[in-house]
Amino acid sequence: MSPLAVPAVDEEQSLREGVDPERSWQTVVWDDPVNLMSYVTHVFREYFGYGREKAERLMLAVHNDGRAVVAEGAREQMELHVQAMHGYGLSATVRRAPR
Amino acid sequence: MTGERVLMVEITRLEAAHLAGLITQFADLLDDTASAGDDPAIARLVPDAYIDDADSAREFRALTERDLLARRRSDAAMVLTTLRDPAEITDDPQDPGLLETVEIALDRDGVQAWLRTLAAVRLVLADRLGIDTAEDHDDEDPRFGIYDWLGYRLHGLISAIDDHA
Repeated sequence: MSPLAVPAVDEEQSLREGVDPERSWQTVVWDDPVNLMSYVTHVFREYFGYGREKAERLMLAVHNDGRAVVAEGAREQMELHVQAMHGYGLSATVRRAPR
Repeated sequence: MTGERVLMVEITRLEAAHLAGLITQFADLLDDTASAGDDPAIARLVPDAYIDDADSAREFRALTERDLLARRRSDAAMVLTTLRDPAEITDDPQDPGLLETVEIALDRDGVQAWLRTLAAVRLVLADRLGIDTAEDHDDEDPRFGIYDWLGYRLHGLISAIDDHA
């Protein structure tokens, strides 16, 4: 769930070149009053292949906090995840990872 | 080589007929709705993927909405196929055959189509019923009974899958 550490040398190089290092993106799933908790847990297990414990922890985070980051990575990958979540009927959005 | 896992769903003919009727209405709604903007319940099935970026949200929608709704149609069609025989009933409301329990065999794709479709029909019903919080419930309104029954069926399927796993 955390981004890969960038080797120091690459960081220096990108700073030297004035290039903004690529920022990580996130898939956020939002709470809604309709989807069953058991269903949301099932979707996280079925689609992401998460174990029961992790899937339930994420489902409870969605339920209690109103939202949860369920995946991080490249933007294109997050868009695929969000499309899949919509296909299951979950509310999901893509966003840049906060720095 | 492992054989395809099959899940057996037990359902009365009466229940199967009701379910088939609901899903047929859902499929008709999908067919009658050209774009999600035309119906708030369909819009719920293809929500915005970006919150503070209207351009990206629009672009995402242009790339995914058609596929997502097409998938909904094919899922609904698959569920209706599995319900066709169980939902066959006579017009006689006294027919004891209505309460006969039949079994529906679902393969992996069938199970997923059932789960997604039951969840989607609940979302559509929730929109029609104006459910904005989990506490919104009118015991006098029979449509809430249908909504609860779909949730009961959905939860039962998930429990059965978990027992299988």
